[in-house]
Amino acid sequence: MEQDNILTMHQVCKSFDKVVALDEVNFELKPKEILGLLGGNGAGKTTLMNILYGLYKADSGSIVLKDQAVTILSPRDALNHGIGMVHQHFLQINNYTVLENIILGSKVSQPLTSNYTAEAAKIKQLCERFGLDINLSDRVETLPMGTRQKVEILKALYRGVHILILDEPTTNLIPQEVDSLFETLKIMVKEGLSIVFITHKLREVLSICDRITVLREGKNVISLTRKDASDEMLVRAMVGDNMDLDKSIMFTDRDKSGSAITKKETLRLEGVSKVNQQKIQELTDISLTINAGEILGVAGVAGNGQRELAEVVMGIQPVSAGKLIFNERDITSLSTKERIAQGFVYIPEDRLADGFLNKASVAHNLILGYHNLEPYSRKGIINWKNVNESSRKMITEYNIKTTGPGEIGGNLSGGNIQRVMIARAFSQPSTLMVAHNPTRGLDIPSMDFVYQKLLQHAAIGASALLLSEDLDELLLICDRIAVMYRGKVVGILPKEKFEKYEIGRLMSGYELESK
Amino acid sequence: MTQLKKSFPYLVSVLAAFLIVGILLWALKFNPLKAYETILFTSFRTPNGFIQTLLKWIPLTLTALAFTVPLSSGKFNIGAEGQLLVGAIGAAAMGIIGKDLPMPVLLPLVIVAGTLAGAFWGLISAWLLYQFNINEILSTVLLNFISFALVDYVATGPWRDPAAGHPTTIQIGQGGFLPMLVSNPPLHSGIILAIIVAAAVYYFTSKTTAGYELVVTGANPRASKVHGIDIRKMFLFSMVIGAAAAGLAGAIEVAGVHHRLIEGLHSNFATLGMIIGLMARGKNSAVPFVAFFIAILEVGGSAMQRTIMVPVQIVLIAEALILIFILLSDIIKRRQK
Repeated sequence: MEQDNILTMHQVCKSFDKVVALDEVNFELKPKEILGLLGGNGAGKTTLMNILYGLYKADSGSIVLKDQAVTILSPRDALNHGIGMVHQHFLQINNYTVLENIILGSKVSQPLTSNYTAEAAKIKQLCERFGLDINLSDRVETLPMGTRQKVEILKALYRGVHILILDEPTTNLIPQEVDSLFETLKIMVKEGLSIVFITHKLREVLSICDRITVLREGKNVISLTRKDASDEMLVRAMVGDNMDLDKSIMFTDRDKSGSAITKKETLRLEGVSKVNQQKIQELTDISLTINAGEILGVAGVAGNGQRELAEVVMGIQPVSAGKLIFNERDITSLSTKERIAQGFVYIPEDRLADGFLNKASVAHNLILGYHNLEPYSRKGIINWKNVNESSRKMITEYNIKTTGPGEIGGNLSGGNIQRVMIARAFSQPSTLMVAHNPTRGLDIPSMDFVYQKLLQHAAIGASALLLSEDLDELLLICDRIAVMYRGKVVGILPKEKFEKYEIGRLMSGYELESK
Repeated sequence: MTQLKKSFPYLVSVLAAFLIVGILLWALKFNPLKAYETILFTSFRTPNGFIQTLLKWIPLTLTALAFTVPLSSGKFNIGAEGQLLVGAIGAAAMGIIGKDLPMPVLLPLVIVAGTLAGAFWGLISAWLLYQFNINEILSTVLLNFISFALVDYVATGPWRDPAAGHPTTIQIGQGGFLPMLVSNPPLHSGIILAIIVAAAVYYFTSKTTAGYELVVTGANPRASKVHGIDIRKMFLFSMVIGAAAAGLAGAIEVAGVHHRLIEGLHSNFATLGMIIGLMARGKNSAVPFVAFFIAILEVGGSAMQRTIMVPVQIVLIAEALILIFILLSDIIKRRQK
């Protein structure tokens, strides 16, 4: 049996401080296969592969490569053994060309000149062999995400890897790019490579992988071939036994007839534009409305003005032109504090910078922005007894792993910090919630919990602006989706017209370019 | 247990600093044990020693708070020295101009004038920061130099005391003297003011919403702004409050100790205040206690110079070493993680 495997990892354990990330995990990869490594956030998928790639050192366990035990202490070792990895965040130099990025750090034939003809020829050959259509003289910053990812793959191929690990490769891609990536992967397997595909998305695994290994909370759950796998089995394996699937949003078809959307308008943006201090146009002439009880999604490749839009709505940044009307009242000049008092709530995208106080206690964090309200305070005096009591309630309800309200925020893990922000956002009644990637870093039951909360929030007539890079998330719970491209809203689709590829087309700026 | 664990690095830091100082003393052919004894116990052996310690404690606590209150919001006030001096000028000026006023009128005027003058000196830096985003570290340090010149100007000007051989003003009115709590050895009532200020700062930062906003601004200004807190106002406010504390320290030195403005009255209070603030890790509630410890060292150091002829600078070396070791312990703790 073992001879079949190109790679085997035995009984791998890894702990960070007291947190056990991997607990005796076994892993097998066969030649010429695409293996889906499936699991929610915190399941240990990336940790396991980082060990294989030499970024982390395992506490115990072994790696066997083609019947030979190997030790991998650095990415260089891994590459020497023919193992490459493409990370979620690309390690590229923006103002270098594709060619320069690919050969960066490798030996070149004429080191004293910048004549890279030999290297370019080799890369062109690889492009042809794997059907990659890339112009080597383009600067990478001008390329769309899907192409930049192919540059990253090419980088690994150039170094002669025969095992390639892809960490959540579809995160920033539009559906068309995902299809194209899958085509490439199929060619690569045909050409003799073995691929590990790390993801938390069930559908992707079922559409591309030959075999699937599921991890949960740092342990093996199941390994099986696609033929033997069913949706339900994999879902259960990923989420464990504690989650009530019948109540879940993600795994049941939701009946939208009970929707509470009314014709009453909550927020209207009229021709909102924003130019920043460097005179860069960040938002251009955005007009949107959000009705009471509606969840308006905002789709777009990261960095197309979503963050600026959220901050303009929250009053964190001023608009350069245009108006914001909230319940028929012009609120363009209101401060963030005044908007919060009107029932605005914000879950920022960058939790460490914008959403969380590392140096203050969990309780401090949980009341941030609401510290002026009863029961937290009265007449300017904080009632810490009430604060601690509510904090404890939130810690229990939102399943925040902490020693208590007094613990310093910096001790919490990323997922728990996200839970603190979610708890804070839902702790107060609100009329408009602005949530930017609210489920980032959460495990599956927690993601589902957030969706339930958002839908409950809508059901009582409150509105939400949900900005997300996860298209599936938007398609799942939004009533309409606006698509942003380079600071503009290039299309707004109602629920009847939700279609992945259409949204993908808008996200890539197709509409705009063709004009 | 956790309390013991928390205080462990402090204990080790103090011991290590004393050990090094001991080696230094031994190399200089002094008796280290005798020196330790003098440094640590002078404050508790005689009533005079204890009162000297309390008198040191007053300006040290106030200048340390002048550093830690702005630090709570993440701003560095390096200008406590200038704020103290300008406070002293304000107090002396009021005491001289109104020298015939009765005490119930003059004393509060002197104290308030000094406090406001110090606050004003801090307001200059705070306003530059608020309006033009000018770095407060630079502006507070630079204003120190101006304050030295101001003291010279006032102490050698029309109010100059011709009988003194050192730039000094004439005495303020008797009504502006802080009454004595104990007459022999003398302890003035400024200590009550310092205790009130320290308690008020503690109450403010830990129990009020405005204090909460100050603390969270210091913890993460960007996140505070995102959640509706006017952080620029917090910076301004904390700088002015800190400067007012330093101004009060200056006023107390004038009204309680010297009864006049003397060039050099700031001693090294502001520098020690910063050291105290850093040893307390910016925690306002810990400042009075750390200040008391430093006051013991200071009084002990002077006594050591008098009795066994060890230069007083040895104590400064000890204080600096303690601070360095405490800061090192932070790094060690981080490495262990």
